[in-house]
Amino acid sequence: MYLEVKLELIFLLPIFLPFLSAFFLFLNKKLFNELITNFFTLNSALLSFAIAAYSFTALALDKFKPVNVELFQWISNPDITIGFTLDGLSGIMLILVTGLSFVIQLFSTSYMEKDENYCNYFVYFNFFVFSMLLLVMSSNFLVMFFGWELVGLSSYLLISFWSKKPAAAKAGNKAFVINRVGDFGFLIGLMIILDTFNTFDFYKILQNTSGIAESTITAISLFLLLGAFGKSAQFPLFSWLPDAMEGPTPASALIHAATMVTAGVFMLVRISPILQHSKIASLLIIIFGLITALLAAFSAINQFDIKKVLAYSTISQLGFMFIAIGAGAYVAAIFHLVTHAFFKALLFLGAGAVIHSMHHEQDIRKMGGLRKKMPITASMMGIGTLAISGIPPLAGFWSKDEILASVFVNGGIYYFFWALSLGAAFLTAFYMGRHWLLIFEKDNGFEHSDVAEAPKAMTRPLLLLGVFSIFIGFINTPFFHGLEKVLHVTLENVEVTHLPKGITLVVLAVLSIGAGFTGLIIAFLLFGMELHKRIDLKKFKLESPINLIKNLSTNVLYLNKFGNLFFVSGMKNLSRKVAVVVDGMLIDGSVNFVSTTFNKSSKITSTTQTGLVRNYVVYFGLFLLLLIALFIFTPLVPT
Amino acid sequence: MIQRNEIVVLEVTTDWYLTLAAILFSIGFLGMMIRKNALIMFMCIELMLNAVNLTFISASKHFGQVDGQVFVFFVLVVAAAEVVVGLAIIVSIFKKQSSASVDVLNVSRG
Amino acid sequence: MVEALLFFGPASLIIIGALIVIFARNPVHNAMGLVLTLVSLAIIYITLNATFVAMVQMLVYAGAVMTLFLFVIMMIGVDKKEQTTESIKGQTFLVSGVFLILISLLAYVAISSDFKWDLWFPPVEFVAEGTPQLIAGVLFTEWILPFEIISLLLIVATAAAIALAYDTKKRNSSA
Repeated sequence: MYLEVKLELIFLLPIFLPFLSAFFLFLNKKLFNELITNFFTLNSALLSFAIAAYSFTALALDKFKPVNVELFQWISNPDITIGFTLDGLSGIMLILVTGLSFVIQLFSTSYMEKDENYCNYFVYFNFFVFSMLLLVMSSNFLVMFFGWELVGLSSYLLISFWSKKPAAAKAGNKAFVINRVGDFGFLIGLMIILDTFNTFDFYKILQNTSGIAESTITAISLFLLLGAFGKSAQFPLFSWLPDAMEGPTPASALIHAATMVTAGVFMLVRISPILQHSKIASLLIIIFGLITALLAAFSAINQFDIKKVLAYSTISQLGFMFIAIGAGAYVAAIFHLVTHAFFKALLFLGAGAVIHSMHHEQDIRKMGGLRKKMPITASMMGIGTLAISGIPPLAGFWSKDEILASVFVNGGIYYFFWALSLGAAFLTAFYMGRHWLLIFEKDNGFEHSDVAEAPKAMTRPLLLLGVFSIFIGFINTPFFHGLEKVLHVTLENVEVTHLPKGITLVVLAVLSIGAGFTGLIIAFLLFGMELHKRIDLKKFKLESPINLIKNLSTNVLYLNKFGNLFFVSGMKNLSRKVAVVVDGMLIDGSVNFVSTTFNKSSKITSTTQTGLVRNYVVYFGLFLLLLIALFIFTPLVPT
Repeated sequence: MIQRNEIVVLEVTTDWYLTLAAILFSIGFLGMMIRKNALIMFMCIELMLNAVNLTFISASKHFGQVDGQVFVFFVLVVAAAEVVVGLAIIVSIFKKQSSASVDVLNVSRG
Repeated sequence: MVEALLFFGPASLIIIGALIVIFARNPVHNAMGLVLTLVSLAIIYITLNATFVAMVQMLVYAGAVMTLFLFVIMMIGVDKKEQTTESIKGQTFLVSGVFLILISLLAYVAISSDFKWDLWFPPVEFVAEGTPQLIAGVLFTEWILPFEIISLLLIVATAAAIALAYDTKKRNSSA
């Protein structure tokens, strides 16, 4: 068919177009000024998105039958090929990544202006888009692993973009190292997969999961899970994400909100046919997702940096996605991934606009009352806040509610999990409300005369994302299962947890809306109307517990300090000991010992060289006698 | 007790000559070790060479071939050449220092 | 009987001559001892049917080489008496050590074989007369290559001796 033939190759273009533009910009890094860079990168991003949209439409018209392209076969016995696939899941990710890439690049042209490494930023940015697309469009684990690693690399490059700041360099290192820990698990999982299935191809593996032993499935799931933990910043591998806020804000918007950190979720949904067979893995996923969601939400309630709040918020929402996966609601997880991408990117870009206008001030305690100065930004970020709190009919409500309902449906201990998730939703609304109010409402008495609205190149993306945040939720409501249809073919072997029907669904929805509203109202009371200053806290003996909560929240339960002490200092001490004892004393000692022995023995031996003829005659005679004795005493047989 | 009508035969076999050569060689070697004068050392070398010659000739008789004697020729010629060159060297050394002792020649000391 | 006498006589002379060589103080005495050894060796060669070699030995060794030695002795070191004390440290110890090893080896060999030498091959009955014809027959056919090399060696030795003893200063001053 006409569409199929074209589709086979055209969907590869959006993958390689960013790579080409990155390479081209890299070659001309020093030559191009901002205008030319903008021209090339924006056009390539727009073109990628257009082709991506076309491919997705063609795929949809073809009822989402997967299209596989095999570029070449590397090894034939363990069947390893390089290939790409376009199916429902990768198609969604494709348009999400290319679309957001275009919007955020548009924002970056204004945010990053007058930066000395302007062109380099876009090189890294495009390289990241390329690696992310490699990851999501891959048809086998190997290409996915390439993309996985390259995404980690691009993230490192972008986090430590302003490399002259030591904090940025350290944050980049931290992100890379923690990612590596996850990648170690991923790699072992890949090895087990190759050993079990003798191929890396998704379709061959995912259709043959029935005959494999439960322990192998669990092992594979657990190791790949470790990889997902590292990439998606789950507990305990999450501390790199707040530190990653040292990078430029648009980069944070793309990478640490919408795309890279969702790679873990994407990967788990990809392997859902394997994952569904392992009860232990699913249980672990939901438990860790819950811990992460609650921990991050708790830490966010008393953060003071505008971006760190959003970072913890991201971690918390990723926790929600993992909760969905653990409960078997794979569609809900992807749905939340999509909606979260939009409103988180919106929030980050809004924060970027605020930072830009406040001349790179990032402490929200020094902001306040910016609503009148930056109306568009304020209203867009307000929309984002409402969306993330789960207020209908905005996007976040539909996805979050679907997750909560799917958790509830499983019964048993999952009721408890549902309650905890509801608590996390409440906290989400609370801290996001606080965030918005402290920036835009509360007047702290700071002088903000020079703060103006952000330039058009920044506000236009905000408006676009705002619109999407309002309407994107309608792709998968209980009345119209759009996303489920998209993912139907990808998840055809998988038992997906479905929503409850009838009155249960309505009650759950009301409860989740209620949690969201309650959070926002309490935030308004505390930070909008400053209720806590009017009540004398000492009367209710509430001061010290509240201070304790505040401290614990700001310091992320002191987990960072603990991690530093235990892992970082511990490793440094260990390496120092090894360097001194093993390397210094043992190895150097033995080598030195050999050399001194040589020296001494050669000094002793050189005393025989006297230069006197008669001594030499004696030596000569001695050895001659030795030779004769040899002849006498060895039994030589006459031939 | 030896009976009168018996003739004591003391046969001189090849062994005796070899023993003689061995003794001559050892004497020459000992002399090389204990004498300091270069000329005397040379003479001891000659003793050793002659011992070797004796060995060759007795072996030649033992096997009934004449090749051993041919070899003695060669040893003789070599000994003569060596004496010529060696004495020339000793003369040159003596011109430098007034004694013929070899103990002062330790230039090649390690 | 005659054979024994013909052996033991020259043999004892050889040993006496050797001992004179290593123990005498006057260098001329050493040279004379060596001459005695060489002549007695020639006599023994004759008893071993190596007549030609014996004559050559007398001519070359006892005649030319010893004359050369005596010339050099006359040139240097005739009137100087050699010191008897050993000047090199440890040499006496080493020498006596080596000598002891030598004696013990010889004694061991002698005793372990009951004074019978274990020659691997029995003596051949054919008596090879060391006549010039026989020797020449072998020398110029089978051993021609060493012969040529020996000739070369002689030329080289002569050239070396002249080069070593050539006194350029005297030559140049007289020219």
